[in-house]
Amino acid sequence: MKIFAAIDIGSYETGMKIFQISKRNGLKQLDFVRHRVELGTDTYRTGRISNTHMDELCSVLEGFNQIMASYKVDDYVAYGTSALREAESTMIILDQIRIRTGLNVKVLSNSEQRFLDYKSVALKGGKDFDELINHGTLFIDIGGGSTQVSIFEKGILNSTVNLPLGILKIRSLLRALEPGRSKYIELLNEEIVNELFSFKRQYLRDKDIENLVVIDDYLPYMMQKFRGAGAPDEVTAESYTAYTDEIKLKSAEEIAKSVGIAPENASLMLPSAMLINHLVKDTGCKRVKIPGVTLSDGIAYDYADKAKVIKAVHDFDMDILSCADVISAKYKCNGYRQQALLMTSLAIFDNMKKIHGLSKRDRLLLELSARLRNVGRYVSLSSPAHSSYSIIMGTEIIGISHVERAMVANIVFNSFTDEFSYADFNNEELDADQSLRVIKLAAILHLSASLAQNPKKKYAKVMAALKDSELLITIQSKSDITLERGNFNNRADCFEEVFGIKPVLKYKGVNEI
Amino acid sequence: MSKTKEKNNTQIDFSSPEYFTNREISWVKFDERVMGEARDKNIPLFERLKFLSITASNLDEFFMVRVASLKDMENAGYTKPDIAGLTPTQQLKELNGLTHELVDTQYSTYNRSLLPLLKTNGLTVVESHEELNEEQKEFVDRYFADTVYPVLTPMAVDSARPFPLVRNKSLNIAALVTEKSGDNKNGTGLFKRGKGKKKTNLPVEFAMVQVPDVLPRIVNIPSKGDGKSVILLEEVIERNIDKLFLNYTVVCAHPFRVMRNADLSIDEDEAEDLLKEIEKQLKRRQWGEVIRLEVEAGIDRRLLGILKKELSIEEPDIYFIPGPLDLTFLMKMYSLEGFDHLKTPDHVPELPKYMSLDKNIFEQIKEGDILLKHPYETFEPVIKFVREAAKDKDVLAIKQTLYRVSGNSPIIAALIQAAENGKQVTVLFELKARFDEENNIIWAKALEKAGCHVIYGIVGLKTHSKITLVVRREEDGIRRYVHLGTGNYNDKTARMYTDMGILTCAEAIGEDATAVFNMLSGYSEPVTWNKLSVAPLWMKSRFLYLIGREADHARAGREARIVAKMNSLCDPDIIEALYKASNAGVKIDLIIRGICCLKVGIPKVSENITVRSIVGNFLEHSRIFWFLNEGNEEIYMGSADWMPRNLERRVEIVFPVERMELIEDLKAFLKLQLNDNVKASLLQPDGTYVKPDRRGRSVIDSQAECVKEAAKVAKSRKNSVVKTRTFIPERSPEFNENGESGDI
Repeated sequence: MKIFAAIDIGSYETGMKIFQISKRNGLKQLDFVRHRVELGTDTYRTGRISNTHMDELCSVLEGFNQIMASYKVDDYVAYGTSALREAESTMIILDQIRIRTGLNVKVLSNSEQRFLDYKSVALKGGKDFDELINHGTLFIDIGGGSTQVSIFEKGILNSTVNLPLGILKIRSLLRALEPGRSKYIELLNEEIVNELFSFKRQYLRDKDIENLVVIDDYLPYMMQKFRGAGAPDEVTAESYTAYTDEIKLKSAEEIAKSVGIAPENASLMLPSAMLINHLVKDTGCKRVKIPGVTLSDGIAYDYADKAKVIKAVHDFDMDILSCADVISAKYKCNGYRQQALLMTSLAIFDNMKKIHGLSKRDRLLLELSARLRNVGRYVSLSSPAHSSYSIIMGTEIIGISHVERAMVANIVFNSFTDEFSYADFNNEELDADQSLRVIKLAAILHLSASLAQNPKKKYAKVMAALKDSELLITIQSKSDITLERGNFNNRADCFEEVFGIKPVLKYKGVNEI
Repeated sequence: MSKTKEKNNTQIDFSSPEYFTNREISWVKFDERVMGEARDKNIPLFERLKFLSITASNLDEFFMVRVASLKDMENAGYTKPDIAGLTPTQQLKELNGLTHELVDTQYSTYNRSLLPLLKTNGLTVVESHEELNEEQKEFVDRYFADTVYPVLTPMAVDSARPFPLVRNKSLNIAALVTEKSGDNKNGTGLFKRGKGKKKTNLPVEFAMVQVPDVLPRIVNIPSKGDGKSVILLEEVIERNIDKLFLNYTVVCAHPFRVMRNADLSIDEDEAEDLLKEIEKQLKRRQWGEVIRLEVEAGIDRRLLGILKKELSIEEPDIYFIPGPLDLTFLMKMYSLEGFDHLKTPDHVPELPKYMSLDKNIFEQIKEGDILLKHPYETFEPVIKFVREAAKDKDVLAIKQTLYRVSGNSPIIAALIQAAENGKQVTVLFELKARFDEENNIIWAKALEKAGCHVIYGIVGLKTHSKITLVVRREEDGIRRYVHLGTGNYNDKTARMYTDMGILTCAEAIGEDATAVFNMLSGYSEPVTWNKLSVAPLWMKSRFLYLIGREADHARAGREARIVAKMNSLCDPDIIEALYKASNAGVKIDLIIRGICCLKVGIPKVSENITVRSIVGNFLEHSRIFWFLNEGNEEIYMGSADWMPRNLERRVEIVFPVERMELIEDLKAFLKLQLNDNVKASLLQPDGTYVKPDRRGRSVIDSQAECVKEAAKVAKSRKNSVVKTRTFIPERSPEFNENGESGDI
């Protein structure tokens, strides 16, 4: 049994959950503390975090330290999100936090953060969640700075998009205009409609959405008010609309009194409620689920998942890959060539375990790299390496960190280069270990790409086996691979330089595929 | 609901002022009931002294807080009527008459009833120093010279010396003095002061001396016979007052006492450090506006004129006292040795019914929720809970709210020990607990010094809840143990106040308890509470719902009933809900010791409501709320009365009792209280309280019955333990230290 603390430094609130994690009982929440620190109001307005908020944050974290000590926690993970991410001097802030509180805080990329939120809902829901996303489901994760909307169809993540609809941002914008109550509602509606306009056209057309799953800090209070304690976290779309209609007529003070929360929190509940109301109407969904999870739940589930304390029903790696597939489809590079690249690179990776010493996560990065390698060709045939790099760096891939995205972009970039070596590799975003992993994965992808150049060639099977100081790669195909063999041999030296193993290509023809 | 009833209901405005009693007037009625005990000839004499003393201290507090608040409102031109339709001015006028009557009754009881009885029983209180015999005079004068004189600070007023600060509640002697003429200056000059006036044509000056509170108010003097004789300190000073003003002739001297506005006005939002701000305000309490002046009856009019002018007080606020000022000294008289036969035998709390003091407390709580009934049962389990937690190696943290603690609190000692043992100790020490502020500041600082995390209350709210949380790491994970009570963590008052508490490790309550402390530590409130109702945000609506639910049952033709016990009832919304429930047919029995703004017996409004007040040897203090709920009865206990201050301006906790055995126990307790015909008084439609008619009924004194019952249970448990064991274990050392008599 372990006692674990998950700390979430958000845009308007800093929270901590303490969990008891055991193989027998899974995750059990022991404590949940939250304190309002509106870091986002600073960051979104000035790009900096004021000293007042910094002091307040450190004082809250000091309090968390005491609570952690009162449970004698075995481990903790502390993440900062949008407000810290978008601040000008993130590194200095994190350093100050470390010096003043002793806590090591890491900053999550938006996609990592959303993925953890999503992970918490999926892990909490178990099989029910997989059943839910078998039907069209919109997963809406409302934050202070932005809102992430992900679309699931037939159990697979179809697409995900980050909308600039953060409740703190909306509230700040509208407050600055100082409208009266009815005007406030009118402006709020207008702002939401404007921001949802393009999203609806691009993503919701022809979609049959049955469910909305909402992650928000304050809507659970509204559910609690209308549904009573212990009621299911799901309501019909009609009921949800009725609840929203009731609270939208009230002032923040009235909402606070009626729902039982502080007025400043109530002022953030209304934008969330209205946003979901619009999505309920735009999608024509049947039900709204507000499971009441927070990022801290996601952090803990992720921790327990990685520590193999809990076993996930849902395959989260598949979500990441499916997201990559959506991107590669968008850039028309999801044909046989991608298939061949995947088969070859994974066969090499899986059979080189003893040699490369890379992890399961690295395999996922390789898989992502293979899926995204050729996206740049859609933009530029002359310099696909640069184009692919730029596209990958500019595209949000849910579930991976910013560093991992940089790694993928660099793996892809270097897989186009015939002359690269560790000595020459210099990337400011990556540390030595990450750089080494990039080199290794790029070497695999680079070699594999030699066998995946013809978009019409289809391989029946790709096998790899280590024998003495050679890696035997066997291709089973009905197509001729003479050209590939030539390319392969040209790149073999590069591979050998990285791994000290000589790759050898073997061909096995088949009659029929 | 029938159409007739619906029609009737639409015509009734349940919030009409005519349906409410003013809370201050109701409070005076309560003090009158306490006075009733002082006047009850069936009660041992010294107990009657105690009750009379209580009426006096109650009245002091009433003036300092309630009357002061009304005066503030009046001064601010506030004219909004209260729920009973009275403006502050109207209330003050009415209260003036009532409090003067109350004081008259106090002194007629003291002079006509108690003093003669004391004398008959061998205790002579010498009322005036003129009555002393020679031997006593000599003793008194020597006592004055040796003991009293050194601590006195006489003060004169003239153009160079302004009128001195008269401290709140202090007893003083005011005098008029004249400078001695040349002839007189060296004379023997002993001024023989009579109680009356001594006319003089010489210019008079005002002088005063405070009766020192560092010396006992009651002075034992040689007795004329077998019995004891005592005189009050102010008489000793008065006899020797000329020694304080040498070169002056004392024209007259009379005791007086002032009562000041003692309501702290703390701007908590602006206060950077609540502790420092309260310390500052406490000093100010000593010079708040004078709202009451007590003077000796027959005071010199010139002296009175000076006091009136200097203290800025009007005639109606002056009380002419036909006896010793400040009857709270009677509590000290109660402690005089040699009169045990005139007191109710000391109550020794029994061993608790649901637990043993020699077993591990956590193991016992794990076996099931434990109910504690104080003072019938000892408070020791609560102390043991904190003490064991302090020593237990598996305990990680202790969190507790403290409102009023005893002078040498074992709870505080245990918390300090816990901190020293490396436990995380968090204490919310409510610095704003009225009249305990100074005490609490001292304790809070001591806890902080020991390494406890001390929270000095919450801005804008008083934390009145009684909760202790112990977090323990056990084999199967973290387990939380919780004590929830209706009374303070005060081992001394736990012997005098009737309170209830439970010890539980129910997970749902443990989670809620954690959320309570998080909230108190300044973190956000939880989305939902599992079991607890917490004021100020959630409790009132919960009670309104529970009352409304009974009303719905009644309207649907189902049996509906509420029994609620508390200290005071004055929340208009709750009263309105009770009226509606009564109108719907809910039978409501209320046991309310103190203020009750609800009126009974109003046709169609409160015909189904009874109110009784129990004033006995123990102070009724527990709050218990029982709802029949169509047979799925629910019973709650907690720290809150049904008063706006509890429901809207304090952090309070009400908790459910769910173990069936405990529910039955509590129901039996409520039934017993409802059948009390000795210490109970029933509220009548005209607002008076009368004793129940006992004719043909057996006499039931609920408190005495509880004492007997606790003794019976303890005895049977003791016997069963002795029978089943082959040896008798030694007493726990902790237990013996406190002088408790448990010997299991």
